Amino acid sequence: MDLASISGAKVLMIGAGALGNEVAKDLVLSGFRKVTIVDMDHVVGSNLNRCLFFSREDARDKRMKAEVVAEGMLGLSAESRPNPIVGRIQDQPCRLFGDHNIVLGCLDNIEARIHANAHSYSAGRVYIDGGMEGFLGKVMVARPPKGACLQCGMNRTHAKVASLRFSCTGRDVVFHEPKLAAEITTTSIISAVMVREALKAVSGHPEMLLNNAFYYDGQRNSSEEMEIPLDSECPVHLCGRRATGKRKRFKST
Amino acid sequence: MSSTSGGFLPVRIKVKNAETGASVEMELEMENTIDEVIESAATFWSKDMGAYVLRKGKKVLRGGNSLKDAGLRADDVLELIPDPEGG
Repeated sequence: MDLASISGAKVLMIGAGALGNEVAKDLVLSGFRKVTIVDMDHVVGSNLNRCLFFSREDARDKRMKAEVVAEGMLGLSAESRPNPIVGRIQDQPCRLFGDHNIVLGCLDNIEARIHANAHSYSAGRVYIDGGMEGFLGKVMVARPPKGACLQCGMNRTHAKVASLRFSCTGRDVVFHEPKLAAEITTTSIISAVMVREALKAVSGHPEMLLNNAFYYDGQRNSSEEMEIPLDSECPVHLCGRRATGKRKRFKST
Repeated sequence: MSSTSGGFLPVRIKVKNAETGASVEMELEMENTIDEVIESAATFWSKDMGAYVLRKGKKVLRGGNSLKDAGLRADDVLELIPDPEGG
């Protein structure tokens, strides 16, 4: 690991919920310093059993998650330089992606994931996406300009639920699916894999990165890597081809 | 989805439910898409609304592909797995 590169890297972390809390903790304890945190929500009581940095007072005062996580990171390391941004990622300027070295998605809905994935790919930034549902977890690494992206692995079922939020609270949110989205032991594993991949990428070891997706099943105690073939009809790759004027069809790998 | 009309011979594919271990045999045509298989299997097991993917071995199958495009054959075993989207 290249500690100088790690401490100098600019990380964009999108989402400061259960996964965002764990990823933020792992980032700062791994030596990352410059972390921009984007989240639109405030803390609620039901976040507290799975979010390291949140307190009852934060929930009572409806403090914004991005700001509370930034304070928590400073509490772990006075050298850290967290930069909280309160708002939706879709409302942030596109240059935000290119201004950072790497992007980590800790999101709870497909629509925001699609946005983060597409903008990261367009900016040529490695995008590491984490997702959880109960004891199941997934980490996907998209490595532009080659290979599949997150959207390559999506299908019609993703389109149907794209605007829903898979909330772990079920309360105080506009849209939610009443699922057990966040379970702290799964969260710990998924966040650890995400940050480990970030460490490899920033240290200049792309050959060590996950190929496509890592699936974890806590009920079976199993994990495996799965291939997501590049989709020649994926909008992210179609747009990329139009932008570069290339008409050659991509081949699935 | 099964049909013998149009000269398309149906093939039997087994789909496993990763969450329960259950399996179902589906009679399909090679022109059926992976999206259709996912939705049929999810409906059969009364799955909650959510994102699912179908895999063969270690490869996630592309939703828009037909069974033929995906290189599937009779008696192949696929697995329906939830695509976790919570954070």
